[in-house]
Amino acid sequence: MTDITPNNSHNIPSGTVPDFIPPHRTEKQIKQRLKKRYRKERIFKAVGLGGLISGLLALTVMVTSILTTGLSGFTESRLTIDVYMDPEIIGSLEGYSTEDRIDHLRQVNHRALIRNSLRIKFPEVKSRRDIFALQKLVSSGSRDEVRQKLMKSDDVIGTTIPMDLLASSTVDMYLKGQISRDVDQSERKISDKQLAWLDIMASEGRIIKGFNWKFLSSGDSREPELAGIWGAAMGSFLTLLVTLAIAFPIGVSSALYLEEFAPRNKWTDLIEININNLAAVPSIIFGLLGLAIFLNVFNMPRSAPLVGGMTLALMTLPTIIISARAAIRAVPPSIRDAAIGMGASKIQTQFHHVLPLSMPGIMTGTIIGMAQALGETAPLLMIGMVAFIVDVPEGVMDAATALPVQIFLWADSPERGFMEKTSAAIIVLLIFLVLMNSLAIWMRHKFEKRW
Amino acid sequence: MDKAAVTTVQDLVQPTIRATNVNIYYDDTHAIKDVNLDIPPKAVTALIGPSGCGKSTFLRSINRMNDTIPSCRMTGQITLYGDDIYDKKIDVVQLRARVGMVFQKPNPFPKSIYDNVAYGPRIHGLANSDADLDNIVFNSLQKSGLWDEVKDRLDTPGTALSGGQRQRLCIARTIAINPEVILMDEPCSALDPIATAIIEELITELKERFTIVIVTHSMQQAARVSQKTAFFHLGKILEFGDTSEIFTNPKVEKTKDYITGRYG
Repeated sequence: MTDITPNNSHNIPSGTVPDFIPPHRTEKQIKQRLKKRYRKERIFKAVGLGGLISGLLALTVMVTSILTTGLSGFTESRLTIDVYMDPEIIGSLEGYSTEDRIDHLRQVNHRALIRNSLRIKFPEVKSRRDIFALQKLVSSGSRDEVRQKLMKSDDVIGTTIPMDLLASSTVDMYLKGQISRDVDQSERKISDKQLAWLDIMASEGRIIKGFNWKFLSSGDSREPELAGIWGAAMGSFLTLLVTLAIAFPIGVSSALYLEEFAPRNKWTDLIEININNLAAVPSIIFGLLGLAIFLNVFNMPRSAPLVGGMTLALMTLPTIIISARAAIRAVPPSIRDAAIGMGASKIQTQFHHVLPLSMPGIMTGTIIGMAQALGETAPLLMIGMVAFIVDVPEGVMDAATALPVQIFLWADSPERGFMEKTSAAIIVLLIFLVLMNSLAIWMRHKFEKRW
Repeated sequence: MDKAAVTTVQDLVQPTIRATNVNIYYDDTHAIKDVNLDIPPKAVTALIGPSGCGKSTFLRSINRMNDTIPSCRMTGQITLYGDDIYDKKIDVVQLRARVGMVFQKPNPFPKSIYDNVAYGPRIHGLANSDADLDNIVFNSLQKSGLWDEVKDRLDTPGTALSGGQRQRLCIARTIAINPEVILMDEPCSALDPIATAIIEELITELKERFTIVIVTHSMQQAARVSQKTAFFHLGKILEFGDTSEIFTNPKVEKTKDYITGRYG
């Protein structure tokens, strides 16, 4: 206690104890200060709450707008029409073997069957133009429905059977209230005559609405009422599978190497900086890279999920590496000490202890990276996954498109019917994203329960 | 007279660990300076000294845990039963199976109690069958005095035990690989007095079978459990001798100051 010398940088004369007495504050002053402090706190809270509320509002508006336009995309309209399986149009089946019969039934002029049935229903329609307009009420896809009915059993030939045929997109739009009948017919796609026919059918209870299973089970189409999301969903799934298969093992082993084995020097520093920078590179650049390397150098197939997956893997790698490194770093060093102290080799320490303990974090990072890849459009445009593809892809080498690209394609279509399909596809994409994030949370909990 | 006789006998016995001119550096910091130390077998040797004096560093050099610190360099020689442990021919993984370690913070693996103890035998291939392994686990837990407390819940996580139990689990885990030496780095500093007493009792029992080196900040603990004491100060050993001698009649002034609490 004796050799304490005052620090002269504060201008305190040495040897003396500064007789500093804090200034006296009145109660009023104290209260004012307190008031000021509480006001600051209140303002901060209010600003935070305001930010939160406006964020929630924006989210609600977005979800409501998507749902209001999109939900109707999951329903379809059908018209009940008594289809007369006219033997004259179908032609004679005599002398055919079973196989030939089916072949013949496949090639019948189903369009004419529907046209004639509609004319039977509305005998007053005579002019070519009107017949064409009448025929326009049902979708071109309804031909398939008649064809399938016919091919299933030829007993129906010569009989009249009521069938619920798919309405055309225009009719569907009108029935969903998206086309107003108040405007002049020149300004809408549906004519007054067509409206009159629909009114008759409605009064007879021949208009049916139902769930649009086709939207979930078929590929893309030029006709909005026939277009489905399954092809794109499959394409996305296959692409993500490739991405995961490439990015996860490479990402995790890179993270493990950088974190636990690599020496700390300027080379590893450089690599680290570059990995962090890669995470911020615009995704279209990765698309260009994929185009230049995978397509132009290696001549891999265009539009294939394999190439899409490889490109997205390049994009996802930094995310996985960064999150895996953070997860590995979060494993307490005492665990490593314990394992090494027990005589475990370095690799045993990593695989028995560090990796299992950091797995929940790695999984979360990976799934977030995957969700990012699921929503990515730009790189896929570069490697040709933007084509119009009707068939559902069955392997990673088949031409395919992906969900966000499908949304982009439909949003670009002039047909009004695609508007609700776009929103409906966004709903499907969002559901997938929510599912993936739930999976991430579930997995994390499952792994954490194993301590 | 009696005391002198004992010292002579111990001097005749070959030391388990012999450190000769050991110097350890962290980058530019000279942490251990010219340490010479003979650690006798089947006894407890306590390393005491103020914080930052290098006793933990020295302890960690005995099973080459310092190898994991890139900036750490060492010169001199440490032998275990005559084998130079820093020799290129020595496999460090094998060395750590001979020299086990218990850490300051109880650090059981986040696995079941059984798996914690079975981990060492498994990686070193010490058990020929599942029954063998069960036996090792049983024996180790028994020796560490934990068996009666955990025998009904071997499948529960080791991390769910209390602090003292966790530390005994770490000891059980270490003795499961049947090492020759057990290093203990302040094993009781995170424990309450009752748990500490149990561990101290355990250490006294274990010295019948193992050579134990313990770093401790508690003078009483050093006096209670150890037979030999080394006093570290600023990286040097200022005094080394029988515990009874050091605590009753220290030869160096600094030692006296430290053990009487006037310094440190």
